[in-house]
Amino acid sequence: MTKERKWLAVPYHLWIVLFVIVPVMLLLFQSFRGLDGSFTLVNIQTYFTSRVYLTMTLQSFFYAFLITVLTLLISYPAAYFLAQTRHKQFWLLVLILPTWMNILLKTYAFIGILSQTGFVNQGLNFIGIGAQQLLFTPLSFLIVATYIEVPFMLLPVFNAIDEIDGSMIKASRDLGAGEWQTFASVIFPLSLSGVRSGIQAVFIPSLSLFMLTRLIAGNRVITLGTAIEQNFLVTQNWGMGSTMGIVLVLIMFGVMFLTRRRRKGVTVR
Amino acid sequence: MTEEIIVSFDQVEKKYEKETVLKTISFDLEKGKFYTLLGPSGCGKSTILNLIAGFASPSSGTVSILGKDTRDTPPNKRKINTVFQDYALFPHLNVFDNVAFGLKMKKMNKEKIKSKVTETLKLVRLEGFENRDIAEMSGGQKQRVAIARALVNEPDLLLLDEPLSALDLKLRTEMQYELRDLQQRLGITFLFVTHDQEEALAMSDEIMVMKEGRIVQTGTPNAVYDEPINRYVADFIGESNIVRGRMVRDYAVSFAGKTFTCVDGGMQPDEQVDVVIRPEDLVLTEAEAGDIQIFVQTQLFRGVHYEIMGQDDAGNDWMVHSTRQSEPGRRVGLTFDPQDIHIMRINETEEAFDERIEQFATAAYEKTSKGGAGQDD
Amino acid sequence: MKQKQKWATVYLVLVFILLYTPIFYLIFYSFNEAGTMNQFSGFTLNHYSALAEDARLLIIALDTVRIALLSALIATVIGTAGAIGIYYTRQRRAQNVLLSLNNILLVSPDVIIGASFLLLFTLVGFQLGFYSVLLAHIAFSIPIVVLMVLPKLEDMNANMITAARDLGASPIQVLTSVILPSITPGILAGYFMAFTFSIDDFAVTFFVTGGGFATLSVEIYSRARQGVSLEINALSTLLFLVAVSLVSGYYFIQQQQRNRKKLSQLDPTVHEKAVTP
Repeated sequence: MTKERKWLAVPYHLWIVLFVIVPVMLLLFQSFRGLDGSFTLVNIQTYFTSRVYLTMTLQSFFYAFLITVLTLLISYPAAYFLAQTRHKQFWLLVLILPTWMNILLKTYAFIGILSQTGFVNQGLNFIGIGAQQLLFTPLSFLIVATYIEVPFMLLPVFNAIDEIDGSMIKASRDLGAGEWQTFASVIFPLSLSGVRSGIQAVFIPSLSLFMLTRLIAGNRVITLGTAIEQNFLVTQNWGMGSTMGIVLVLIMFGVMFLTRRRRKGVTVR
Repeated sequence: MTEEIIVSFDQVEKKYEKETVLKTISFDLEKGKFYTLLGPSGCGKSTILNLIAGFASPSSGTVSILGKDTRDTPPNKRKINTVFQDYALFPHLNVFDNVAFGLKMKKMNKEKIKSKVTETLKLVRLEGFENRDIAEMSGGQKQRVAIARALVNEPDLLLLDEPLSALDLKLRTEMQYELRDLQQRLGITFLFVTHDQEEALAMSDEIMVMKEGRIVQTGTPNAVYDEPINRYVADFIGESNIVRGRMVRDYAVSFAGKTFTCVDGGMQPDEQVDVVIRPEDLVLTEAEAGDIQIFVQTQLFRGVHYEIMGQDDAGNDWMVHSTRQSEPGRRVGLTFDPQDIHIMRINETEEAFDERIEQFATAAYEKTSKGGAGQDD
Repeated sequence: MKQKQKWATVYLVLVFILLYTPIFYLIFYSFNEAGTMNQFSGFTLNHYSALAEDARLLIIALDTVRIALLSALIATVIGTAGAIGIYYTRQRRAQNVLLSLNNILLVSPDVIIGASFLLLFTLVGFQLGFYSVLLAHIAFSIPIVVLMVLPKLEDMNANMITAARDLGASPIQVLTSVILPSITPGILAGYFMAFTFSIDDFAVTFFVTGGGFATLSVEIYSRARQGVSLEINALSTLLFLVAVSLVSGYYFIQQQQRNRKKLSQLDPTVHEKAVTP
């Protein structure tokens, strides 16, 4: 009985070793290798003493933070209202349909929308502000990144709000809470689990959106992802790239730790 | 002393889209009593609770609380609290904060909240559990938290929506005693919803039996048990033998091929009626000594009594609860007293029923029996 | 109350508009006679015919679909087997370790996945191209399949397996006639997700594709870097239509399943439960 089952899972275990454990080890290992292939601490030393790298990391962190806050501000009310609509499953599907569209195509659309003579600048001209340089600025990066990440925040937040037992809201009203009080003391705390997974789903990818920085921000914004891509595919400095990769992985674990499921607050099923 | 009326339903009807869930219901709830709404699921019990708590509004008619029409009063402005079926405790708050919730909403000061919560937790025997997480509490404890959370607000009326249905039998019986005791000590009106007739009989001052959006009978547990208005109520409240019979004249009914003296009257001569005799009112005797004779088919030992099923010569099935043993295949006799025979007219309304009972039952008691099963107060 | 609802609707509509503006912008200009994405000078289908004649792009599109179908299929097989393996892992701790390892690739930024796979392929001397991309796609799709299948396994009544064994089924028969049928919805969902993951991926592919092989994402990236080309707009329109039809098909199937469920568990108290504040 168990023997057959063991054979069944062999490819999966092989996958874990080959594509999960080995690549992480390789990344770690590579960060200790210099350009000539020798074992060295020079990459780590360079990274932690270089003002350029550290500012870049901080900046990347800051942008990811801004994107997360913006998506949350846009998505939370949308998810909340959505959970109260009649055919919510249908509208939810309509809201997340754009995620099925290739991310590069959406990015490409913004090249048109934000260009000197594009849609937004035509509008700005029309109301008398006049055309602005939008494309290839940090602002455009923020706009496009937020646009792309909104559905990934919306979905978990919606699910969390939608999962709240209707009787919780009833109970709260029954105990004398008004609509706003019910929101502040019942709905919001109970939806925090969704907000946490939303943050996870938005913040980590936002650190690595290198195609956006290339296509939209014209290299005005360098994220960790951009730097890693640069090191791996352009300058071929894999050691440095791996060092940054490890930094990115560490940040990822940090974010996951901060947004982990708390035992208290969420019903343990 | 005039009874204060807490809640009053006047010709209340409730429709959801096309379906009518409540069909013109009227009743009053008086202060300090323990009421039970009894009926199968889907009969409209929870709708009545929703209307009182303010989670639904009537399609027509008025629901008034303390004499005031409630149409525009939201749930949070009603001095009524609910113990929900699934407790609906807030998982993100501990026991103390759950109980304190209502008081915090009223912006009561911290000291006062603390003393009231502590006091109420003591009332439901949960002192010392203040800092526990809801997830750490057992079913029975959650139940008490839910009760405390509602009671701490000192409501005029406490609604209990099948609160004991998730508990096991032993806990359920325990909680029945406790709820009844709490209600009598605090003097708060309770409206308890259940589909469990034993629960209803054990706790209530007054039972409202519901069927398909109507209240079919209202009365004390004894009245409802002893004088069910129809086959439905008789069946729902406890196990019954219900056989077809014919009213020969007042105080005489014929069934199972014989005519018996009874305590009912007011029907047409020769009117078709349903005759109810409770299994525990039937006494097992030798075949010759019985009022009727049955042929025993099965016998089950139920702990306190034997449950004997048999058939009479006319083909009626009888269930007998007896401490004496019989055995399948035997022919035995059954005896019963006139006041154990309950006559139900077919399709009688509650008003007509009450009027007839008023007239005949009291008269009959004076005439025929002393004591017995009838209790009238 | 009414007023509040109106604002909610307005807000939702606004979000809808924002989310769809770029897509419709692309579609709109795919019909532009002038070759730009800002001045609409007249209607034309030229960009669509150019697309139809672009042999390179068509081959790339076919390759992309090929990779997606194949990688999703293989990932589904391995992932389903893996999920069953995790389900049967007795020790809690081992199960948690397996799950954590499983989820690493799901939460990792795609740059990390791409870079580390590139290191792996280089280390073992694997030729970059179709097969490296295929392997990479299989690798990052497996965990999502596991995540879709595992809940179905956990929902399954474990006594069913005991019952099947009791009735004389061999382990393989238990697998094929009890376990697999009851987790089929999870497997299908897993395949669907793996497929979309593969179609959508850019970053990982970008790292592990050599010069000779490209998927649509990679091709769009390199063309977009060169500037606006309305052929891409035409392509967007087509892809959007595909996405809409896929999603509406998915929604339709889901609705049907839900309706069937409703019929089988007619509940007389539905209207009472339906009262939500």
